[in-house]
Amino acid sequence: MSHSLKGPVAPLSPVLLAGMAIRPLPYGLIQPLFNKAIAQMHQQHPDVFDRLIPLGSPRFLIDPIDLPFSFIMDTRPTAPSLTLLDKQEDERTQNIQASIRGPLLLLIELLEGRIDGDALFFSRDLVVEGDTEAVLGLRNAVDGADINVHTDLLHIFGPLARPVDGAAQLAGRLFNRFSKDLNTLSKATLAPLQRKCDAQAASLAEMEDTITALKKQLRRRSGKSA
Amino acid sequence: MTTHLTLGPVLFNWSPEKLKDFYFRIADEAPVHTVFLGEVVCSKRQPFFAPHLPEVAERLTAAGKRVIFSSLALVLTKREVDLVRDLCTMDDVMVEANDLSACAQLIGKPHAIGPFVNIYNEGTRKVFEDQGATHISLAGELSRKSLAALAKDAKADLEVQIFGRQPLAISARCYHARSYGLAKDSCKYVCEKHTDGMDLDTLDGDPFLAVNGLQTLSYTCANLIGELADMQSMGIRHFRLSPQDTDMVEVANLYRSVLDGIAEPQSATEKLDDLVEGMPFANGFYYATEGVKAKGQIEEFGI
Amino acid sequence: MRTEKLELVCPAGTPAALRAAVDAGADTIYCGFRDATNARNFPGLNFSREEMGEGINYAKRHEAHVLVALNTYPEAGNPEPWHQAVLDAADLGAHALIMADVGLLDFASKHRPDTRRHLSVQASASNPDAIAYYQDRFDIKRVVLPRVLTVPEIAKLNAQINVETEVFVFGGLCVMAEGRCSLSSYATGQSPNMNGVCSPASHVRYEDKGNKLVSKLGEFTINQFRQSEAAGYPTLCKGRFVTQDKPSYLFEDPTSLNAAEFLPDLMDAGVTALKIEGRQRGKAYIAQVVAAFRKAADAAARGEPVPPLGLETITEGQRETTGAYNKRWQ
Repeated sequence: MSHSLKGPVAPLSPVLLAGMAIRPLPYGLIQPLFNKAIAQMHQQHPDVFDRLIPLGSPRFLIDPIDLPFSFIMDTRPTAPSLTLLDKQEDERTQNIQASIRGPLLLLIELLEGRIDGDALFFSRDLVVEGDTEAVLGLRNAVDGADINVHTDLLHIFGPLARPVDGAAQLAGRLFNRFSKDLNTLSKATLAPLQRKCDAQAASLAEMEDTITALKKQLRRRSGKSA
Repeated sequence: MTTHLTLGPVLFNWSPEKLKDFYFRIADEAPVHTVFLGEVVCSKRQPFFAPHLPEVAERLTAAGKRVIFSSLALVLTKREVDLVRDLCTMDDVMVEANDLSACAQLIGKPHAIGPFVNIYNEGTRKVFEDQGATHISLAGELSRKSLAALAKDAKADLEVQIFGRQPLAISARCYHARSYGLAKDSCKYVCEKHTDGMDLDTLDGDPFLAVNGLQTLSYTCANLIGELADMQSMGIRHFRLSPQDTDMVEVANLYRSVLDGIAEPQSATEKLDDLVEGMPFANGFYYATEGVKAKGQIEEFGI
Repeated sequence: MRTEKLELVCPAGTPAALRAAVDAGADTIYCGFRDATNARNFPGLNFSREEMGEGINYAKRHEAHVLVALNTYPEAGNPEPWHQAVLDAADLGAHALIMADVGLLDFASKHRPDTRRHLSVQASASNPDAIAYYQDRFDIKRVVLPRVLTVPEIAKLNAQINVETEVFVFGGLCVMAEGRCSLSSYATGQSPNMNGVCSPASHVRYEDKGNKLVSKLGEFTINQFRQSEAAGYPTLCKGRFVTQDKPSYLFEDPTSLNAAEFLPDLMDAGVTALKIEGRQRGKAYIAQVVAAFRKAADAAARGEPVPPLGLETITEGQRETTGAYNKRWQ
């Protein structure tokens, strides 16, 4: 099962390019950072995990679509974990209850509780699969804690935090600019393909209308009240 | 154990002539023990049949039926409050309360409580029994487990709807009028066009609900024919047929024959299916699952 | 009788939201325990006993009150969780309990008579006779009015009853008589009355069909969105359906209630308290809405015009409605 068939397509973004750049790094080097991050979160915000107990402490697949890897987040309060998963691996073997796919920045907003529970479903950029209830539970649990990825995660870098923070902010400004340029480029590249897709969608819609009409005709009732 | 079929109030906007003919035939032919009369859904409809009520009640009583007058389910305006007060202060009639305003007036005298008053548990049932409720028609949403717990130690007679579209919601807003682009105040009584309710489908053409003025009903028709024996074992002996625009005398005969052990639920359901012209059956609430579902005996007649 | 100063009653689904509401100027916060005893029994939401105690203390330190919602209908044969919730909420120092079930009101008035009782909107008590019943039998001090009454109707009602009234001014709008709706359980098996949820997330699915996004609740399509349209949560009564061969938002357009413009009229009508809906919303949302309504209520108390709230961005592209407060809504 290729990941390109699932969920939203990765936007051509700086995150995507950065992801390609770190791809050659062995997971052995990155994984310890995430172990530390989840341990920190467990220590600072135990209530997040408590709130997920009534939902059976679900396992989530968190898929930043613009990165070459995903995360498996296990929310068991005794042993929570955040494990890197290469996108070439089959997710189906991972025993997950729900998956959340979307661009990294949006996922961070979700983690910080900046995306509202009602709004979680409004955005087309986030795709939720599997147990919707578990995902809503995660969002609510996270909102109940005051998580700030910016300061909480940077904690891990210890005394280096300040320079890293400064670099991150500078990168953020460049990033926004770069983002706009790439967006223009991707639109231009994809335009002919988009036209073809639109034509196919139109003929699909026509077929669906026909099916709807047929369903109505097939109804067994003589239509006394219809 | 004696069991009784009851005929719930007509929920739809039928013309006075149609209602009169309907009740006269019920009086003469239907094996029902009790008939509930009166407008429950919309106070705007109430004046049309009201002048005929005494005559109809008399005819039903003369035929040996018990008559109970049902009160409005949603009471908002002064006129509606007064209608309920007038009904509840009438002498020598039994009233079914469908709103707390009616319950309040009826304290201290024997009365019935309808399915639009929330009785979900034995604590609430007991409060109403202590106020004088002797007959309680339970909400359709209750599962088998809840019904059994409510029936245990009940002093009042308990009743469950076994046939007819299931009332699901009521609103101050009229959806029939809204569908015709009209306001409630100038609705032109468009709900009279749909004597079984107006079909409401999903965008991909699946049948879903039925609209009846302020009320929303299930598209499916409740059919608890396979659960009658189970409910009797809990001590429930009154079973409500909610009128649809079909041969309700024949509907009553079919349920009566199953209660009397003369017919099997399966064969009776096949005949009921013809009577409702293929309207799908449902009993999901009884099994604590989606109300739209059909389980057990009626499974193949589901949506 | 005219109200001098409106009380602002605000939602909290988590302790963080409770603190946000208090800090933003709420007079009163309402919340519930983490189980089926309240009508916002959503995953990951609500308060443990310990969190409730801390929340009540936090509010008290800031001269605010906490109301505990116990507004579902206890399950037959299993009243204990509801009874225990009444005892615990009262003993933790809740200012009042918000209840809808007659049996539970009876229990509370017998076992914790000194804790105030408010009648939940889930009881849909919409007329003076029904409200008088709850007052006579269970000594309720306040009724939360159903969202179906116009402002003149509220004024008339207040003239005929002698309990306080609380009305909804902002947030999601129920179009059916509250507590008398089983649309959700018809489609999903779970209802506000019994399970404390409406159109639960566990039964929600989105299907991406390329040219459109389809939202489903259980087996039923509730809405479809074109690529350019903002998608919504499939709350059953806010869906698009077909009657008379016409698709429409038959029950209600996807709107959000905003009755800020009616605050002076609601004071004239004798309303005691304003209620903001949304225990399921995030703390950022709550802080913003509470602060805006604090300003509005204070302006109204000074007899000044209600300032613009600036809340358009958080209603998620949904339109705002003044709901039933305006007679044309019916």
